[in-house]
Amino acid sequence: MRKLQTLVAAAVAVTLLAGCGGGSTPPTSTGEATGAPAGGSGDTLVVYTNSNGEGRGDWLAGKAAEAGFKIEIVGAGGADATNKLIAEKNNPIADVAFGLNNMYFSQIKNEGALEAYQPAWAGDVDKGLADGETYWPLVKQAILLGYNSDKFTKEAAPKDWTDLWTKDEFKDRYERVTGLGTATAQLVFAGILSRYRDDSGDLGISDDGWKQVEQYFKNGSPAVAKTDLFARIASGEVDMGQMPSSIIAEREKSFKVNVDTVIPTVGVPLAVEQIALVKGTKKKEQAQKFIDWFGSAEVQGEFAQKFNSMPVNKAAQAKANPDVVGFFADLKQQDIDWGFVQKNMGAWVEKIELEYMT
Amino acid sequence: MSTNTTARSMGRSPFVLVVGVVLTWFIAAFLVWPNVNILIATFFPDGSFSGRAAEKLFSSQRAMKALGNSFLLAVALSITVNLVGVFIVLVTHYFRIRGSRILFLGYASTFIYGGIVLAAGYKFIYGDKGIVTTLLVKLIPGMDPGWFSGFFAVLVVMTFATTTNHMLFVANALKGIDYQTIEAARNLGASTWTILRRIVLPMLKPTLFSVTILSFLTGLGALSAPQVLGGRDFQTITPMILTFTNSPTSRDLAALLAVILGVATMLMLAVMSRLEKGGTYFSVSKVSSELQKQDITNPAANVAVHAVAYLLFAIYTLPVALIVLYSFADGAAIQTGQLSLANLTLDNYVRVLTQQSGLRPFIVSVVYSALAAVIAVGGLLFVARLLQKYKNWVASAFEYLLHIPWILPSALLALGLIVSYDHPNPLVGGAVLTGTTVILLIAFVTVKIPFTLRMLKASFASVNSSLEEAAAIMGAKTMYVFRRILLPLVLPAAAAITALNFNSLLDDYDTAIFLAHPLVQPLGLVIKANTDGAEGTEGIANTFVYTVLLMIITGVTMYLVYGRSGRRRARKQLPMESPGPQASGPVLPGTQAPGEDDAARPAAAVR
Repeated sequence: MRKLQTLVAAAVAVTLLAGCGGGSTPPTSTGEATGAPAGGSGDTLVVYTNSNGEGRGDWLAGKAAEAGFKIEIVGAGGADATNKLIAEKNNPIADVAFGLNNMYFSQIKNEGALEAYQPAWAGDVDKGLADGETYWPLVKQAILLGYNSDKFTKEAAPKDWTDLWTKDEFKDRYERVTGLGTATAQLVFAGILSRYRDDSGDLGISDDGWKQVEQYFKNGSPAVAKTDLFARIASGEVDMGQMPSSIIAEREKSFKVNVDTVIPTVGVPLAVEQIALVKGTKKKEQAQKFIDWFGSAEVQGEFAQKFNSMPVNKAAQAKANPDVVGFFADLKQQDIDWGFVQKNMGAWVEKIELEYMT
Repeated sequence: MSTNTTARSMGRSPFVLVVGVVLTWFIAAFLVWPNVNILIATFFPDGSFSGRAAEKLFSSQRAMKALGNSFLLAVALSITVNLVGVFIVLVTHYFRIRGSRILFLGYASTFIYGGIVLAAGYKFIYGDKGIVTTLLVKLIPGMDPGWFSGFFAVLVVMTFATTTNHMLFVANALKGIDYQTIEAARNLGASTWTILRRIVLPMLKPTLFSVTILSFLTGLGALSAPQVLGGRDFQTITPMILTFTNSPTSRDLAALLAVILGVATMLMLAVMSRLEKGGTYFSVSKVSSELQKQDITNPAANVAVHAVAYLLFAIYTLPVALIVLYSFADGAAIQTGQLSLANLTLDNYVRVLTQQSGLRPFIVSVVYSALAAVIAVGGLLFVARLLQKYKNWVASAFEYLLHIPWILPSALLALGLIVSYDHPNPLVGGAVLTGTTVILLIAFVTVKIPFTLRMLKASFASVNSSLEEAAAIMGAKTMYVFRRILLPLVLPAAAAITALNFNSLLDDYDTAIFLAHPLVQPLGLVIKANTDGAEGTEGIANTFVYTVLLMIITGVTMYLVYGRSGRRRARKQLPMESPGPQASGPVLPGTQAPGEDDAARPAAAVR
């Protein structure tokens, strides 16, 4: 019978699935891999992150194993990881989440999916970069406006985002986003809109502020899917655009371009990647130990060394790339009311997508 | 059609009852309940309905324009894909064309790849820095290098990218045509064109209707081609739906947009079903014979058809060739379009294949996709058969319910499953499904139901019902008729559907991201981690490598399902025929399913 064959095939395949459950993870998890909730799978910690690309996930898993932690990294973009953590809050699968920025974590916290925990290294970080309760800062990232320094001198370059659409020489020479789904784009707009806060305006922003957004979209060259900004700079299509600080050095090299960054007088927005304990984890003690370990000066220092990141942990900064540390030492941070931004970001994104993006 | 097709008569057959009970449970548990849950959570956030979403959307110029573009593309694609699709099917299976086997392989390249990389492949050729454009600009000074963008470019790329269903299903149906009817018409003096229009195309109607619905749907859901080639003027609605799905405060907008597209699809389905009722044509001869390739008698037409066929061949194969080539280049070269043979290395492949996760995600994805593909087709074989046989309101209701997965984006389907089964639920025997390996399988099966059902129903529709009646008169039981008569006839189509389902699930990200078990992560997640975020240089190169690796897997799948099983069937089941390739078409020798030996096979079976 056909159905019987299907059933047998299914049974065989399920067994296979269970088998590969143990393929490269510790054998303890093999048995539970089929059917049983992840919460019960041995003592493997399930770690959600958006910061696993470019070899970071593999590096972390290796280091953690050396330190005696069995971890399984589940990678997802910032928005996906956030939605996943919120959707799973009644029966959490993750034990720890890290890499998401403060905006995402405050969203998750508001949904009640995080558990308060004070890591051992809480004293070594600036509490102002997080909520001082549930999520804790690991890595700083500046969201910058970068320009082709072979084409523009420091004097001729824009001094601020608003120059892009108010001065003719930059019109159509800067790349503008085609969607607000990414954290970087949202932070750029947090930086611009925050300056136009007006409680009587639409969504807390004055008409003038919304006009800036309109002009930003009207005068920019739309980003091209699967073509990096640096590739477009290299081919001369555009000369400037948004970029997170950590990628600049590597992209300059790959695309053979030179890029300098603009530091507006109001400062630049910072994205701060955080770590937090997931509420309802069945391996709380182990998860807390992992957080203590991962945020420690030693591990953060090695991470910074390896991936050119800017650690928040002061003791870790000694090991980080001195150029990176120097850059952040001179950097003026924009003063942004994150509570205000977080409360309104969803509505801003919606308004911008519907009304201003063309 | 059978005479007992009323709702009441359905209740008398135990076969119908069993299938009905299982189906009702499945629909209730996995199609209705999770999606009702997520839609309620979306549209009634505080327990009361808000018309906010509609108001916002309809006052947004961008949303309305994008929605309009999606519809425009859907309608245009329904036409262009049929034109190109029918042409390539005729060229490879109906007319005698030199080198049709090679042509087939070229046209079949869409079986194995698609999505953003396909769009990128076309851009390498026709984009502003593309090979063909550079050439044309030299030939025609003053030509706009950005000619290949906007609606035109998107339509062209998507037309050539989505003829897969024609190549599989329409070709299959074509081979089922009784050659005697064609010979008879010719003897009566009908021209090639008349035969095509009055005999061949009408016989293909059920299949053409089904693939038209699929083309329409593809157009509505267009994502990557407009993103890569649409430019400022031709953006579609899907990117907006995806952005809003990801933002909890705007999810109602995403759901509303998805429902609008879903309703449009259902309307299309209703129109097509109505047209389908207008009649299916069968040959009336009792001993049918196999289709033979036709000469194009008019020499001018013959040359023209050959020329167009080979032009299309070039259009189909160039992007694939370039993608394979570029997968050896470094990411910067890919994005700036500067390819030099000296820079091609194996570095990209080494990087991708020596990751810690290694081959495991490939195995996980292959197992999940194979299981889901087989379960969907296996289960729906019975359902499609019943829906095709019983045409009453109960059957129609079931049929429309089974199309629910076409209405909602897969991210919403996944979220619906999570919120419905993160606690013990009586619908699944009190089990908790989140965090298990089963939930992703359920989602995979679910998302493949509408496509599977449509294509299976179409292939049942092209089975001559007199065979069944004959068997029934001779005393064959329902299951026996199903197993020995119907199943062998629809098996080639079923195999093709299984293969397509399998291929399309291999790199799934949208569902897997929410539902995968943390210890059993499929390929889609790994691909995303290696290709996304800040796109960078490695990311883009990895995209190409994964595409080529997937091409290999899907290519092997198509070969296993098609090349081999087809040949085996040809030998085993048709011993009385000479298995000469001249009659049965190039790569799919034995797949001439419904009809071609209608009379011989079932008769033997009943005996």
